[in-house]
Amino acid sequence: MAELSFTLNGQTQALTIDSGTPLLWVLREQLAMTGTKFGCGMGLCGACTVHLDGQPIRSCSYPAEFVNGKNITTIEGLAPTEDTLHPVQQAWLEMSVPQCGYCQSGQIMSAVALLKANSSPSDDDIDKAMSGNICRCGTYPRIRKAIHRAAELSVQYYQPATTEVGAES
Amino acid sequence: MSLSRRNFIKSTALLGGGLAIGFNLSGCSKAPPYPNMNATALQPNAYLQVTASGEVILQLHKVEMGQGVFTGLTTLAAEELKMDPALITVQHAEFHPDFRDPEFYVMITGGSSSLRLSYQTLREAAATVAAMLIAAAAQQLNVAESSLNLHDGKIIHAQGELGFADVIVRARGMSAPSVVTLTSPQDFQYIGKYDQRLDARAKVTGSSQFGLDVQYPNALSAVLLRSPDFGGKAKSFDAIAALAKSGVRSVINVDGAIAVIADTYWQARQAASAVKVEWEKGPLAGVNSDALRAERHSLLATESGKNVEEIGDPSAASGVLFDALYDVPYLAHATMEPMNALAVVKSDSIEVWTGNQAPDIALSAIADATGFSREQIRIHNQMLGGGFGRRILPDYLVEAARVAQLSGYPIKLVWSREDDMRGDFYRPNSSVKMSATVEANVVTSLQAKVAAPSIMGQFVGEVSNTLLPQWIPDGLHGKLAGLAASSDPAATEGLIETDYQFPYMRTDYIMQETSIPIGYWRSVGHSQNAFFMESFIDELAVKTGQDALQFRLNHLPVDSRRRKVLKEVADKAGWGSPAAGQFQGLAVHESFHTMVAQIVSVSIEDKKIKVHKVVCVVDCGVAVNPDIVRGQMEGGIVFALTAALKGNISVVDGAVQQSNFHNYELLRMNETPEIEVHILESAEAPTGVGEPGVPPLAPALANAVYAASGQRLRQLPLKLV
Ligand code: FES
Ligand code: FES
Repeated sequence: MAELSFTLNGQTQALTIDSGTPLLWVLREQLAMTGTKFGCGMGLCGACTVHLDGQPIRSCSYPAEFVNGKNITTIEGLAPTEDTLHPVQQAWLEMSVPQCGYCQSGQIMSAVALLKANSSPSDDDIDKAMSGNICRCGTYPRIRKAIHRAAELSVQYYQPATTEVGAES
Repeated sequence: MSLSRRNFIKSTALLGGGLAIGFNLSGCSKAPPYPNMNATALQPNAYLQVTASGEVILQLHKVEMGQGVFTGLTTLAAEELKMDPALITVQHAEFHPDFRDPEFYVMITGGSSSLRLSYQTLREAAATVAAMLIAAAAQQLNVAESSLNLHDGKIIHAQGELGFADVIVRARGMSAPSVVTLTSPQDFQYIGKYDQRLDARAKVTGSSQFGLDVQYPNALSAVLLRSPDFGGKAKSFDAIAALAKSGVRSVINVDGAIAVIADTYWQARQAASAVKVEWEKGPLAGVNSDALRAERHSLLATESGKNVEEIGDPSAASGVLFDALYDVPYLAHATMEPMNALAVVKSDSIEVWTGNQAPDIALSAIADATGFSREQIRIHNQMLGGGFGRRILPDYLVEAARVAQLSGYPIKLVWSREDDMRGDFYRPNSSVKMSATVEANVVTSLQAKVAAPSIMGQFVGEVSNTLLPQWIPDGLHGKLAGLAASSDPAATEGLIETDYQFPYMRTDYIMQETSIPIGYWRSVGHSQNAFFMESFIDELAVKTGQDALQFRLNHLPVDSRRRKVLKEVADKAGWGSPAAGQFQGLAVHESFHTMVAQIVSVSIEDKKIKVHKVVCVVDCGVAVNPDIVRGQMEGGIVFALTAALKGNISVVDGAVQQSNFHNYELLRMNETPEIEVHILESAEAPTGVGEPGVPPLAPALANAVYAASGQRLRQLPLKLV
């Protein structure tokens, strides 16, 4: 048993976990945050990607104890408000990226991390950042387009006057 | 009640799509109420309901697994109700006999048939609701029906508008019209024009609910330890160490597998590794996939098989015989969401929450395994994190129900990726001898001899026990399976009924008796048969010194649909003038009534195949949602590239060797080519798009690789030597 306290999407969480439990299962089972998905359990598919202090990690292979005192962001914490989307989510909608949708939380979290580090990534940059995320439905061509689109949207997004850009039309 | 033999046979019709065999046994009990049946709502059919508050609810009778029915079917209803599809509430339908498929006789999503088979039904169902609302409003306002129109959930009249809620009481009192007029295609507002995905927003915010996401109060997590070889069972087990672990509630033998039940998945998984099990080997111990391939090759050399198609006279096959042996391996579905189901068993009811393509089959399977009646069981479908045919099988629902029944807990059963990879129903491995005779540079015959196991034989064996009435003796099930197997359409679909014309054409099928679990895998028999056919056609073009496009056109009738997509793809891709350093390959294939042609551009470096671009042309009738059609082609191409370049499930001693994505690799972003999709204009009723993008890719790619390297690769996955 271990005591765990961390910030999840801006809110403090304190709970007891079995030592060694991967963050994924703490999120999904103990905190009922099911937007983060289980795909392989071995760090091979990216479905479980979340941010640890802004950096993408594979939560299926990340012991939850290691996030003590840190900030975790999941897909549920990405949009600034209930009816506003993050520009990456907005771009995903515009390009109709999701098919089954199961991999998309992880894809979006990886893309957000990429764009944070590199505001206008090239196709090569996208390949490098996104090749850890599998999509069995084969939405890669649209993910690529959506990342380019999100790069455009983000420019406006970070200017305060246009924070409405994510609103669903 | 009695089921006459004639009806029985009729309802077990074998299907061209190779998907399923149906057993319609609903005749004996009276039809259950419509879904959500509610005394205050207008509900003239099982599909649609207008509630007292005016909300329009559509029962989604096909499951959404990425292929787009959530949007496509809603669009059909929206067209007749003249409302934005986004205004309709969509619910995953529970089983109802009215949702049984008119071709498969069970409620099932498969065979790329959802849009095709719902196109008329669903528009009629919606037009009925629309007509009743209009009639009620006309009565209420005392005006002519022709003066009223529907728009976005309102009834528009000369002086203003009424809400659906305003007329619902009157509408409920009316009888449904016996004939309805459907919107004519030139007036379509949404069909062919709507370009959103209604399920997309929830899928980008993480709020979309998949089977794995369902919460139930106090449900425990279970994992199953299954025999490493197929069909093996636990003889004994020692769970002392496992039971001492944190959160573990119980460890029990469930029908030969060991269920480890704990508070959370992780606890159950940890404890499972501490259980010691002694396995009794199953009937497939000792079976190897390499040996099975060798066996098929010897069958092809020694057996004549069963003739499936013969066109023309054998004497026309003159000239020099030329033949080639082709092979494909087993493949796993590898849906991103591993199999899972949540089951709650009470004394007189079972409820299951999951994502499943064939709830009708699952109901019977659960009933059969638990002793409950079908009527006591409810299946609540969710979004499917991929299906591709895997979720037609009810095995994981049955497991969850049995663990819940035997343990007494509400149970959430979750498979690991390893369970999923090793417990699949695989795309069959198959071998074909393609042969042709050539005289004076003219191909005089084209023949295919297939050696493959039968999906149908296994599937019928698997499900007939649950779908046939109790009084039919077990022996008959086996006979039926055997009957189905020897003429399994899936084994030869795509090789037969093509419109290629050669003086003599023949296809024979030799069934390989093996029982490694096999199943329906995106595009089924077409997934391999297109590779055999379109690669060999390319070989014949080369052999006779003709251009691959021209050779095909020369052997197709003038009105062939193949011609149209071929010409279009050649035009769009610039056939014959590839980019510098690249080589092109071409293939065309019809599956599920949809015609697809693709041109693949490749280059080769250090014996590695690099795919640069795929141009795809599809003829699928009216594209209800063109953007989803394009998405399905793109996704089908990526899925097929995985199979063509990487996919291989091997079996050693009755056990699958692959376990996770490091040894069963899927295509990734950096390997994905540019994909360009063109949809042919059409006024015909829509045909499927979920599967038909897959078949032409492997041969188009193999043909491009030949053009680039001179190596004719006749085995998948493609590997240059
Ligand atoms: S589930 Fe974590 S990488 Fe696949
Ligand atoms: S959308 Fe289905 S796995 Fe990516």
